[in-house]
Amino acid sequence: MPDGSGHMQPFLDQALAGAKGASGAKAAGWLSDLRGRGAAIYGDHGLPSRRDEYWRYTNLNALTKSDYQLANGAPAIDVPPLPHRAVAELASYRIVFVNGHLRPDLCVLDDMPEGVLIAGLGDMIAAAPDRLQSVLGQNVDLNALPLAALNTAFMHDGMVLFVDDGVNIDKPVHLVSIAVPSDTPMMLQPRHLVVLGDGAKATLIESHIGGSGGAYFNNLVSELTLGERADLNHYTFQEEGPAAVHIAATALNLAAGASYGGFVLQSGGLIGRIETRAILSGPGADCRLDGIYLGTGSQVLDNTIYVEHAATGCRSRQVYKGVLDGRARGVFQGKILVRRGAQQTDGYQLSRTLLLSPRAEIDTRPELEIYADDVKCSHGATVGELDGEAMFYLMSRGIAYDAARRILVEAFVSEALSEIRLSQVAEDFSAHVRNWLGANIQLAAAE
Amino acid sequence: MALLEIRNLHATVDGKSILNGVDLTIDAGEVHAIMGPNGSGKSTLSYVLAGRDGYVVTEGEVTYDGQDLLAMSIDQRAREGLFLAFQYPVEIPGVVGLTFLKTAANAVRRHRGESELDAMDFLKFVRDKAEALDISDDMLKRAVNEGFSGGEKKRMEILQMAVLEPRFAILDETDSGLDIDALKVVSDGVNAMRGPERGMLLITHYQRLLDYIVPDRVHVLAHGRIVKSGDKSLALELEAKGYSEFLDAAA
Repeated sequence: MPDGSGHMQPFLDQALAGAKGASGAKAAGWLSDLRGRGAAIYGDHGLPSRRDEYWRYTNLNALTKSDYQLANGAPAIDVPPLPHRAVAELASYRIVFVNGHLRPDLCVLDDMPEGVLIAGLGDMIAAAPDRLQSVLGQNVDLNALPLAALNTAFMHDGMVLFVDDGVNIDKPVHLVSIAVPSDTPMMLQPRHLVVLGDGAKATLIESHIGGSGGAYFNNLVSELTLGERADLNHYTFQEEGPAAVHIAATALNLAAGASYGGFVLQSGGLIGRIETRAILSGPGADCRLDGIYLGTGSQVLDNTIYVEHAATGCRSRQVYKGVLDGRARGVFQGKILVRRGAQQTDGYQLSRTLLLSPRAEIDTRPELEIYADDVKCSHGATVGELDGEAMFYLMSRGIAYDAARRILVEAFVSEALSEIRLSQVAEDFSAHVRNWLGANIQLAAAE
Repeated sequence: MALLEIRNLHATVDGKSILNGVDLTIDAGEVHAIMGPNGSGKSTLSYVLAGRDGYVVTEGEVTYDGQDLLAMSIDQRAREGLFLAFQYPVEIPGVVGLTFLKTAANAVRRHRGESELDAMDFLKFVRDKAEALDISDDMLKRAVNEGFSGGEKKRMEILQMAVLEPRFAILDETDSGLDIDALKVVSDGVNAMRGPERGMLLITHYQRLLDYIVPDRVHVLAHGRIVKSGDKSLALELEAKGYSEFLDAAA
């Protein structure tokens, strides 16, 4: 509904009700306060619109057109098999959510090593809220992320991953989110919390998949806190259903010497936005954010990054590659802020986009804001079409037009894939890229 | 029937007329050389035959193995057995050379009704040919032509020709940028491909290449037309006298 100032505030009534206590359960005071604060900030701000500096290119009007209802408990429905075969066969701890709710029957969490906790947030709120109090909501700047504020008002379930100091998890953790849409538009408000202690090490794989049955809004927030020298490799597949709005906010905090490697493959949803806000708070932290996005039809795929260098000698690096076909739109916004005193900062950013159709579009917005004087920061952005000479060369060897296009697009993307350390993830990422190309390139040629 | 028959071929590039009535007939089993000064239209002729975009045929016809070559797409021509060894082979980052070769070979094999080769069989098939051209496994595993020296690129072109086994090959300035040892390796590779079923067209500026690959016929191209034809002795004559005679004549 519009308020007096013209803000759109869908979900506000529900958020206020949600903040008062999810499903009527009695919540700890601090938790109600946190939810209430989320509701209040969202209420003040409303749904992000083009007037918001970092929402100029991604229009959320679609969210005001339907009456999205919070998904009720996980339905006892059959769940589609995971599309990621190599990862699915990988030995891992698996935690599965269906429509935003934990499905214990689908989880594989046996024999967790000492010093590792993987659990549902809902269970933790019920059983051990004290373990959450000092970390939940601590790293998210709700004023900068109005939809994270909305998520905060609702938060009731998600994944909690705690790794104690010095513990190296023996297997990757695989977080699977499955949306099974119905005729009623639904919204999911999952909240994930990852805390790695000093020197802890983990690999986290996220798969977000969804059916094609109807519209849904997956508004997720992840808070990732890495202690000193902690190390997290984090791989995300965003393959929501075709009518989905996927808005993911990740708040990342790296202590001294911590290392984070994030890699995102985004190709699902009608609108997909993956926003990462990383604070490099301790000296010598290292933060890599890489991604691939593949858009077609009238998809909008948005990658928004904010990296704050708040300590000396930190390194940050982003390499994003987009392939856009049809009338798809891509957005890349990357801001690097170097605080006063954050000397010996090393920042690098590259956004490369391949437009396969004359109607595809990319909005790129790199931004450097530097308040220290001993800093090495560079950024670059390229937008282009397939290389005509290379096309001629491939075709002159007997390779058909479509196949030549596929080869060149795959080559464009493969450079980014070579950064992936876990071979099963790399395998699934390339398989997904190949499938996408197989399904979409012929359409492009027929246009 | 001639393998390749070019009749009164006119072509423009960016609206500028480059070929002004080329006539040329090459039979199977023959190797012809086209020589000519810079700007005479040698490379344009090779690109027109390969079907490159931007090279517009305004008049004339080309018959290849009884078919209308100009009506075919670039890839169709290649699958029908036409091969162009590029003067400047294209670097394609991110595409592994061996994968590229296998994709091309299998596209051609499918077209000929032959079975496709799997990765293992293909590697065996390609290794002997690569060895003869002094191409290491490491080179095959790198991205297509990326970071290769001029000589390495030219050897890769000949390897592609050996793998695709074309019926008609055009070698565009294959000798440029080669030192004498590389020229020998490349020429041996080309000579090994000569046979009664195959035709070749060598495009070159210098006579040097023709010491190694001895042509059946030599033609001089100037101002977009063939102005003189002869046997291999014509190349020696050109080497001694230069091209000025033809430039003056047309001016």
